Amino acid sequence: MLSIKNLDAFYGKLHVLWDVSLELGNECVGIFGPNGAGKTTLINCIVGLVKPQGGTVEFDNKTLLNQETFQIIRSGIAVVPQERELFPLMTAAENLEAGSAYIPAAHAKRKERLEFIFSIFPVLKLKSSLPAAVLSGGEQRMLTIARALMAYPKLLILDEPSTGLQPSLTTDLFLRLKQIRQSEGISILIAEQNVRQCLKAIDRGYVIENGKIVLQATAANLADNDYIRKSYLGL
Amino acid sequence: MQIVSKLRERRYQAILGAIIMAVIILAVKPEVLLEGIQRSSLYAVIALPMALILGIVGIINLAHGDFMMLGSYMAYWFAVKSGLDPLLAMIPAMLAFFLIGILTFYALIKPVLGSQELNQLLLTFGLGLVLEEAANLSFTSAPLKLSVPYVSASLTIGDLTFGTFEFVYVLAAMLVFYIISLFLKKTRIGRAARAVGQNPKGAKLVGIDVNKTYLIIFSLSIAIIGTIGVLFAMRHSVFPVMGAPYTMKSFCLIAMAGIGNITGILWYSALLGVSESIITAIPGAAGWADLVFFALIVGAILIRSYQQRVK
Repeated sequence: MLSIKNLDAFYGKLHVLWDVSLELGNECVGIFGPNGAGKTTLINCIVGLVKPQGGTVEFDNKTLLNQETFQIIRSGIAVVPQERELFPLMTAAENLEAGSAYIPAAHAKRKERLEFIFSIFPVLKLKSSLPAAVLSGGEQRMLTIARALMAYPKLLILDEPSTGLQPSLTTDLFLRLKQIRQSEGISILIAEQNVRQCLKAIDRGYVIENGKIVLQATAANLADNDYIRKSYLGL
Repeated sequence: MQIVSKLRERRYQAILGAIIMAVIILAVKPEVLLEGIQRSSLYAVIALPMALILGIVGIINLAHGDFMMLGSYMAYWFAVKSGLDPLLAMIPAMLAFFLIGILTFYALIKPVLGSQELNQLLLTFGLGLVLEEAANLSFTSAPLKLSVPYVSASLTIGDLTFGTFEFVYVLAAMLVFYIISLFLKKTRIGRAARAVGQNPKGAKLVGIDVNKTYLIIFSLSIAIIGTIGVLFAMRHSVFPVMGAPYTMKSFCLIAMAGIGNITGILWYSALLGVSESIITAIPGAAGWADLVFFALIVGAILIRSYQQRVK
């Protein structure tokens, strides 16, 4: 489904991604790494917000490198950005509507989709008439995920979804992601620093440090890996 | 009881204050209120398309009034060359200015999107100068005046006599406001434009073609201001720098109302238009009108800044 090969990206003269390769099929994959490791840059390369200097990015066997972000999103990739990127003056309902409005296939089925969204995030139904700006951090995070799901994506990418959430909400978030993956059968790519929680939701994971992939393994193997236990789980 | 509780809100207090003020002016000098409404409408209808560009594309278009000037010259050109009534000339002018908007966007605006605001300001300022000089070379700086008989029509009610044509501006302001509001709320492109105005990156991430949205909004706004220029030429003299004061006043109105607040533009236009009208009606004080206009703007911005700091 998603295939990244030998990706190199720069910010000006700063080389930020080095020969990164990543494969993702119908599964849930995690990308772990410290701040500044290149997780967000990798996601931005996938969705066209950063243009890489070398390598390939393919989705469903089609290259994404010559496409604009809106075209990539319309091809079936939905993103939950770290900074949420909601429309603050629009109501929660309008934000959800925006998630499907520009993807023709999703727009036709938006009413059924809203029912599904409200079943997994009931609080959004209660607050659907409020502007996104007045929702709490956790509610805004749920709204961003819900907005992405409104697009009926084949691949859902989440960039540090647990940032700013209290521990109980983080646990709840990963449970819901697992639930969505099971009920929808969609592929999920999660960039995350909260390795402990994320390992419960993923099938496989990559570790990225200083712009390079340094480790890849199944979730079970990562949980047993000494380096992961020491550096990311504090054990 | 509901009315009393509503009057505790500042918004309703302002509306009540405006109504009381209007009744007093109407009783003492009704022509001042009528002229104020006409003047306000003209300010509002000119400022609305500029607000659309600033609120959604994020560009301060300092050539705004110069596009209006071009529209006025187009009205003159149509009238002289083909004898076309300016009211009818608004239709081809709207189409022509939509195309001019598209060309301007691709040639000048798109390359500076995302660059520093100062670059954008200098670019549109330069564009305004180019348009003024082009008009100067083509038509000279001598004011031109269209001869349209029906613009001098007036109505007498009791002792009060007033021009009726200027109510076209009231109608135009209401129409433009209504169409823009409806467009932003009810159409797919309009909703996309609201999303882009609030968060361009978020808009890209829900599949909106942000550049296409910028193009449509910019071209639409230029089409509106060009058409308003045709309307303007029917009552006012046409000369190369006629648009500059309106660029400044429109920008000030947007600053007062707050970016993205098109309803606020109507209210502040009313405040400024009626205030100017009152000043102009005082014998020997007509020259103070602009001073009062800008003093009110400074005052309104200071009060808003103070309120925001207190919050």
